[in-house]
Amino acid sequence: MSRFFTTGSDSESESSLSGEELVTKPVGGNYGKQPLLLSEDEEDTKRVVRSAKDKRFEELTNLIRTIRNAMKIRDVTKCLEEFELLGKAYGKAKSIVDKEGVPRFYIRILADLEDYLNELWEDKEGKQTALASRFLKKAPTTDEDKKAAEKKREDKAKKKHDRKSKRLDEEEEDNEGGEWERVRGGVPLVKEKPKMFAKGTEITHAVVIKKLNEILQARGKKGTDRAAQIELLQLLVQIAAENNLGEGVIVKIKFNIIASLYDYNPNLATYMKPEMWGKCLDCINELMDILFANPNIFVGENILEESENLHNADQPLRVRGCILTLVERMDEEFTKIMQNTDPHSQEYVEHLKDEAQVCAIIERVQRYLEEKGTTEEVCRIYLLRILHTYYKFDYKAHQRQLTPPEGSSKSEQDQAENEGEDSAVLMERLCKYIYAKDRTDRIRTCAILCHIYHHALHSRWYQARDLMLMSHLQDNIQHADPPVQILYNRTMVQLGICAFRQGLTKDAHNALLDIQSSGRAKELLGQGLLLRSLQERNQEQEKVERRRQVPFHLHINLELLECVYLVSAMLLEIPYMAAHESDARRRMISKQFHHQLRVGERQPLLGPPESMREHVVAASKAMKMGDWKTCHSFIINEKMNGKVWDLFPEADKVRTMLVRKIQEESLRTYLFTYSSVYDSISMETLSDMFELDLPTVHSIISKMIINEELMASLDQPTQTVVMHRTEPTAQQNLALQLAEKLGSLVENNERVFDHKQGTYGGYFRDQKDGYRKNEGYMRRGGYRQQQSQTAY
Amino acid sequence: MASRKEGTGSTATSSSSTAGAAGKGKGKGGSGDSAVKQVQIDGLVVLKIIKHYQEEGQGTEVVQGVLLGLVVEDRLEITNCFPFPQHTEDDADFDEVQYQMEMMRSLRHVNIDHLHVGWYQSTYYGSFVTRALLDSQFSYQHAIEESVVLIYDPIKTAQGSLSLKAYRLTPKLMEVCKEKDFSPEALKKANITFEYMFEEVPIVIKNSHLINVLMWELEKKSAVADKHELLSLASSNHLGKNLQLLMDRVDEMSQDIVKYNTYMRNTSKQQQQKHQQRRQQENMQRQSRGEPPLPEEDLSKLFKPPQPPARMDSLLIAGQINTYCQNIKEFTAQNLGKLFMAQALQEYNN
Repeated sequence: MSRFFTTGSDSESESSLSGEELVTKPVGGNYGKQPLLLSEDEEDTKRVVRSAKDKRFEELTNLIRTIRNAMKIRDVTKCLEEFELLGKAYGKAKSIVDKEGVPRFYIRILADLEDYLNELWEDKEGKQTALASRFLKKAPTTDEDKKAAEKKREDKAKKKHDRKSKRLDEEEEDNEGGEWERVRGGVPLVKEKPKMFAKGTEITHAVVIKKLNEILQARGKKGTDRAAQIELLQLLVQIAAENNLGEGVIVKIKFNIIASLYDYNPNLATYMKPEMWGKCLDCINELMDILFANPNIFVGENILEESENLHNADQPLRVRGCILTLVERMDEEFTKIMQNTDPHSQEYVEHLKDEAQVCAIIERVQRYLEEKGTTEEVCRIYLLRILHTYYKFDYKAHQRQLTPPEGSSKSEQDQAENEGEDSAVLMERLCKYIYAKDRTDRIRTCAILCHIYHHALHSRWYQARDLMLMSHLQDNIQHADPPVQILYNRTMVQLGICAFRQGLTKDAHNALLDIQSSGRAKELLGQGLLLRSLQERNQEQEKVERRRQVPFHLHINLELLECVYLVSAMLLEIPYMAAHESDARRRMISKQFHHQLRVGERQPLLGPPESMREHVVAASKAMKMGDWKTCHSFIINEKMNGKVWDLFPEADKVRTMLVRKIQEESLRTYLFTYSSVYDSISMETLSDMFELDLPTVHSIISKMIINEELMASLDQPTQTVVMHRTEPTAQQNLALQLAEKLGSLVENNERVFDHKQGTYGGYFRDQKDGYRKNEGYMRRGGYRQQQSQTAY
Repeated sequence: MASRKEGTGSTATSSSSTAGAAGKGKGKGGSGDSAVKQVQIDGLVVLKIIKHYQEEGQGTEVVQGVLLGLVVEDRLEITNCFPFPQHTEDDADFDEVQYQMEMMRSLRHVNIDHLHVGWYQSTYYGSFVTRALLDSQFSYQHAIEESVVLIYDPIKTAQGSLSLKAYRLTPKLMEVCKEKDFSPEALKKANITFEYMFEEVPIVIKNSHLINVLMWELEKKSAVADKHELLSLASSNHLGKNLQLLMDRVDEMSQDIVKYNTYMRNTSKQQQQKHQQRRQQENMQRQSRGEPPLPEEDLSKLFKPPQPPARMDSLLIAGQINTYCQNIKEFTAQNLGKLFMAQALQEYNN
């Protein structure tokens, strides 16, 4: 039964309740009555269970009989209807089928149906009316397509069928509702014990557990009122507590309460209601309280129901259940709640406040598991802890770093306490444990990524980079599942931003290149779905993707990301462009940056920059002219501060770094662009122009000379740069390129000639080598190739 | 080509005597069997073409128009012209043929020559040897045997000397185009190379005596400074552009050759395979029976030889490269002359 129908009928159930319902009731009878939740005796339930198999199979065979009839009289609509019912019935019988294996008659009818359909299609081809042929035009030929066609037909038929099945549903629900009415009526009365248990019954372990099992049996069945179930369970806890049945029972029931709380939502997409969520947190907390208070209780998944020891006080209590799974589930629910809340509302803030509670619970569970759990469990809970730690910037630790401890007078204890708080130390400890102990690859991968992220967030660039390189994640991340890939992308981005803060523009650019060049940064970071690809995916996929989204408080600011990328691209690209002005083979370092430049150029009227991109483009233009002051004022100003730079934890440090970078790169650009008009330049003038001190200018120019980017020499006594003027002019450059191209043309031509003549071209071969030797005259070209090989 | 220069270069400012130029044209127009040996253009037409470009053409955009006139003996007289309107993609239903007909009818009403004798086109740094030009000139020449295409180079004109050339397709090329077979073999058979694709027809510009008189007067009045652009020493821009374009074409040529090369390799590979198969089968049969082998021609028919690449494009590219080279040669020659002159002047002044 598809969910569509149930949800759909909810809204209309009242309106279409009519006399017709009675007519369809016999059909609804197929679904059978739900067993009473509170059955009087055990035998009754047993009977139901025993008869279930027969009943389901009988239902199936009945349906199959009708289908066969319909096939005989060629009533396709009827056939289809019955087929759908059959599918549903089969779904219901799934549990039995799992046990018993797929019944033969079911397979047979499927095969027969297929044959029948094929035959029907072929038959129609033989003697088709005009109408039928029109209908058949759409009919595909291959087998799969037939199925698709059938599906289509089914869909069409569904509409007709809809009404009917809806009615069925309502009827069904009504049935259940009716059933439940009785129970609900009982609930308030249960406050007096006797309603739950017969009056005067002695409350013993056995009775309570029997009751618990009864309640649990209804769990997961269709139409069980989940809210009522939770209430019942809570009541049971109360009773158990009142009667001093011991912690074992209470723990057992509590486990079940939490499980039913999770079960409350029927499908994956919906999230817990706040009150449920609160209850859930409280419940887990209570459970933890009990577990901590009673160290003799053993909890584990591997404890079988039979070997549970709930009340025998002599032996340690053993309870089946896994606290870790509960907590993991809780974490998932929390993520879901955050995903489904509007991030700009007060509500989100309210929910976010629960995060502290979630963390506290995780911490408690961690402490518990450290004592009792297996290493595997510890790894899992550590990962949870890591996932709740890695993205938070540790302001306290940061403060401590900024103000070094006043003397060494601080006591050892203080130190230890500080370390306990320091998230870096915590991360280090947790991650190292996972690295050492974990056996599943996934947990380790996640831990490494989080660790790198955390390092990067706290500007420990070299640690982060080394860890990234050592992990070799870059090579095999494409085999990971999407959430891990998203985490990887987030980590790479954070790494890039970290490199930028350290002034390592090239590293920053390289780290961000992959994410930015795709133009899908939002999607890759799991921070939202792209609209344009909406057509490409169906609803199911979209739901899956939606579930993958990272909650808002973990988001990386996309504008910051883009700005960092563009600025680093600018710092790399502008001097490069200036250096290779007249080189036809020059390659773009950053396509996206060039795209932005072009967009800027296309503007018919260029106003003062508004957006971050426009600022960067304007700055790039200024830098192209070597005008670093304008460039500086475009990159660092009120607007950009507000939009980007203030988002960094150490904004001022970043800004000073940027200014210096801009000065240096502008100087380089200036020299590249205008060296041809100078015979010599005094370094002092340059240092005045770019407000850099003399040694820096000296070092930059020396570097350029060494790299053969600038054809000049330094004259030490006068502190001047003397240009050699060996650079070819634009025409000469062009002519050289032309010569090269003609060379390759000749070579190609010779190859054609070779073909005609056979391959005796020894004379030409030698000549070709000659060409290659001669290429040395383009020394800069040679260097460029090397550079492009090594760096990009 | 240099000879044509003499013919037109001077006529831009002062009209030469018709008879002299005609004689020259006859002397040079050695293409023999062509129907038209000389093109005589009215001053009006030249001015109209120039005006058209200045009003509508800019940068790489090209303007086109229709030439009107009539044929007198072996001389094509172009007496008038009108432009094709620039039409955007918005008015897609614009009918060019209709427009031309209308236009010619209207011109006829005012007693102007209305015979269609060709078309003109502006060019950007001499890059006019294209497939489009070839196709349309072919259809013109196919319909009207005498028609020519006038190529107007505004950039060269701006440098001081009017650049206007008349071209026709050679009869050889006409035949190839008619066959529509541009495979390597066909072109080889037609014995056509890029040098013999287009033939240039000498141009004479003719004005009425009144206009000639006016010109004389104008020349007397005009200041020397008006003619200075002819003496401009700046060369880098023009040369650079030409080199760039030349380079692009060379690249294309290179690619074309590579394509051809792969084709050659593929064919030879297939032939080899065929040989191998044949030999194998022959051996088999000889071993088993000792009978003479059967002909294997059916087998070879099964394998389709690879599609030979059309060679027309490479011909055109070669033609274009040739034009660029001529342009550059001409330009550098002139510039060298100018530089020497400037040097001499400098020395004299010192």
